[in-house]
Amino acid sequence: MPELQASGIFAARVIEDIQSKADSGLYAIRGFGTLRERRWATFDDLTFLPCSLTRIPLEGYREKCSTKTVLGKRFAKKPIELDIPVMITGMSWGALSYNAKVALAKGAAAVGSSNTTGDGGMLKAERENSRTLIYEVLPSRYGINIHDMRIADAIELTIGQGAKPGTGGLLLGSKVSDRIAEQRDLPIGVDQRSPARHPDFLGPDDMIIKVEELREATDWQVPIFIKMGASRVYDDVKLAVKAGADVVVVDGMEGGTGASPAIFQEHTGIPTLAAVCEARAALQDSGVYGEVQLIIAGGIRDGVDAAKAMALGADACYIGTASLIALNCNKPIYEEDYRAIGAAPYACHHCHTGRCPVGITTQDRELMKRLDIEEGAERVRNFLRTMTLEIQMLARSCGKSDVHHLEPEDMAALTLEASAICNLPLAGTRKVFGR
Amino acid sequence: MANIDASAQSVREINQAIRHGIGRKEAVIVQNPGARHNLGVALLEVGEVRIAGSVGYYCGGLSDGASIEIEGSAGWGLAESMLSGTVRVHGNAGSGAAAALRGGTVVIHGDAAARLGVSLKGGTVLVGGNCGYMAGFMAQKGTLVVCGDAGEAFADSMYATECYVGGKVTNLGTDAVLATMDPGDVVRLEEMLAAYLPPALRKTKPRAVDFKKVVSGRKLWNFDKRAWKIWQEAL
Amino acid sequence: MCGIVGYFDKTTANQTAVGERLLKMLEALACRGPDSAGVAMFGSLPPRHLVAQVKLGDSDNLAERAQLVTELAKEFGGEEFSRADAYLRFLFKEVDNLKPFLSKIESAGHDVEVVSVGRRLEIVKEVGSPGRLEKAFQVSKFQGKYGIGHTRLSTESVVDLSHSQPFWGHGYADLAIVHNGHITNYHQLRRIYEQRGVRFYTENDSEIVATFLADKLRQGKDLEAALHSMIIELDGSFSCLVATDKAFGFVKDPFSFKPLLFAETDQFVAVATEEVALRGAIPGNYSAREAQAREVKVWQT
Repeated sequence: MPELQASGIFAARVIEDIQSKADSGLYAIRGFGTLRERRWATFDDLTFLPCSLTRIPLEGYREKCSTKTVLGKRFAKKPIELDIPVMITGMSWGALSYNAKVALAKGAAAVGSSNTTGDGGMLKAERENSRTLIYEVLPSRYGINIHDMRIADAIELTIGQGAKPGTGGLLLGSKVSDRIAEQRDLPIGVDQRSPARHPDFLGPDDMIIKVEELREATDWQVPIFIKMGASRVYDDVKLAVKAGADVVVVDGMEGGTGASPAIFQEHTGIPTLAAVCEARAALQDSGVYGEVQLIIAGGIRDGVDAAKAMALGADACYIGTASLIALNCNKPIYEEDYRAIGAAPYACHHCHTGRCPVGITTQDRELMKRLDIEEGAERVRNFLRTMTLEIQMLARSCGKSDVHHLEPEDMAALTLEASAICNLPLAGTRKVFGR
Repeated sequence: MANIDASAQSVREINQAIRHGIGRKEAVIVQNPGARHNLGVALLEVGEVRIAGSVGYYCGGLSDGASIEIEGSAGWGLAESMLSGTVRVHGNAGSGAAAALRGGTVVIHGDAAARLGVSLKGGTVLVGGNCGYMAGFMAQKGTLVVCGDAGEAFADSMYATECYVGGKVTNLGTDAVLATMDPGDVVRLEEMLAAYLPPALRKTKPRAVDFKKVVSGRKLWNFDKRAWKIWQEAL
Repeated sequence: MCGIVGYFDKTTANQTAVGERLLKMLEALACRGPDSAGVAMFGSLPPRHLVAQVKLGDSDNLAERAQLVTELAKEFGGEEFSRADAYLRFLFKEVDNLKPFLSKIESAGHDVEVVSVGRRLEIVKEVGSPGRLEKAFQVSKFQGKYGIGHTRLSTESVVDLSHSQPFWGHGYADLAIVHNGHITNYHQLRRIYEQRGVRFYTENDSEIVATFLADKLRQGKDLEAALHSMIIELDGSFSCLVATDKAFGFVKDPFSFKPLLFAETDQFVAVATEEVALRGAIPGNYSAREAQAREVKVWQT
């Protein structure tokens, strides 16, 4: 007997969404990032071409493969020097618990990597526990403090992020605790919506003046990063270069967030693979390839994604979601608490509720206790170290003694789209398609 | 006294000279500022700076403790994110004056353009003349006083900032409401006007009791929750 | 996104070094617009004559093209030909309908463009700095009563001569505009105009401001009314300066997204994106203020 047929367009999830809107007159807000099935080209559409006859590989476990990473060489007196090319991206204390922020700082420091503040400003414990700390200047300017900026190792001027380009931040009331409210100069318990735009510059021409202000404020010592959600990447990167950025950060569509309207996470911004290719083209056409560094973010899951991003032109990668998963996000523990918020391990994107079962995206002191700082730091350290080993293994197999020597030509495309986007031959054809 | 001629120097050199002067506890005067940008940025010590002319963007931005007096006009982002101190402009100010101010006082004798006090996080902003579009947008704490008329969409989407307008309010922004001035408000406002406006200017402005008070209606502070179940994934 | 400037000498003296003023103002703004520079200046000509500035092409070897365009221009009474960089400048007999002239001249090559025509208006614009503009065209020597200028930071379209500003209201003598901002319903409006047979020369959204205003002026609106229409019909960010053979004015969008300051005395009106452009070029004791959202101001010249 034939099975019942459900609509492909009005699928169960869509029906539920429409009826929920009809009930409440409200749109869905959640955390995490893009959830829909990937039907666009991603890093999975590329494969490495290690050495065989034409090139000589390095011994996987023995021969040197440098991972030292220097960012901000263009104008800054003190560029950032990291031991590895993977860094922790800006995530707000507010979206994240205090324990999570400190664990991330310690874990990154333990492997010679960096941490980034986030919406709401700098936590004292963050500066104390970070080896290298990047200070994010966001449209909201919550907690903005010149004294914190002056003890940071870099300033990141954030125009937007990959999960929700073109909009402002969101922190729902259950997470605007007394401490968060004080930090952000807000009433306790408000559903904080922050501005989409910076308050004192509107456009790349004004931004040139803003970058100069940030340099004046930090005595021209530290690198200035400009971070954008991946939208019109080619145009935006060229403008960031003209504005004087030392480092350009592009955050792709698959990037995560603690809370935002679901439609933004699903339907705005271009995928990270496409973004890194556009960004490199913009740097080349601006004549600053090699002079201005590129950091890529947006759903980087492991050393393979990072290595592919670096081969395509990134000098380093930020991880956000992956670092939280390393801290036990979505782990099958406290399972009844997942159910209580309507989620389950491996299928939880409920950061916005403030009731994170593993103590990461919550301000509830009891829940936060479930994330032990030292244990969390060790998990982050392990994950970053393993990512680095993966990048090194792939680089050595391609004959590179430095992970930054990975090139696009070390890869082949597995699909037509990836061939066109990355300007790489389609495996099996020796041809580049779509250009 | 430290006399700085801005005309032949880079912004960096000018700022270093200003900080030097303040460090030596001298009163600083900057001549020929030519409306240049980023003058007096990140002044972190108590000191007095007088600018004999106009400034461009971000004068006094990211500062903590200094007193800056600008004899001409100011561009965008005057005293943005300042933590403490006083910035006074004799002329007019561009858009985003006192953006994200966290403390201290900003006084503008003339008119302010759009988005006065946007994202205000503390401190006091006082305008002798009129202000433009969307003053007080998403303002969180602190006090905003406009002696003249307020432009469109005044005090849109505010949190706990208190606003006072001496002239007309063209129209109120989203979730902004007129509130009654109580005697405490009148006294406080009168003190501010007397303290921050030069006497000759003060005389031409309305009495404190004739100002209108504008605060947030608080309807946007929380999304409309009907039930926890809907609240799980909805707003 | 960019820097715009404008200067209008109100005194009765017919000729002023308006070119020099505009050049100084542009130099002060060059940082916010490093890609190209241009000016539209209004002088005075012998009566019943028009002046044309024609871009001969995009390549380097333009001598032959110059000869060809000269021959074509002679059919319209062209005289006083002069070459500077990629431009050919000449006077010709005043006509009511510019279409045949434009058609003829632009038939000389796919990359030939009549950059401006006017009883008083001349536009010169080029890739590079104001300094480069001055070197090629001696802008500082231009005598006139008023003008507008632009330094460009390209956002979404290419950097070349044609995509630079000011834009001429193509086909409408003496209309020039400079625009800081981005028109976000540009493509939609462009399609409507193209349907009516209007030709666009670039992919730059600022061009539509010129097309839009030329359309309103042809419909009989005066400049002030046309600028008010912009506030209603154009979306996005704009601080614009516009000049015709009779007037000079500005408009600001409803959100006041892009800066625009002006100063007025008995002697002059000066408008610029930043006060630094005013102080750098015009000495004296005057005050400037930022235009407010939706503000329109027009002066008769």
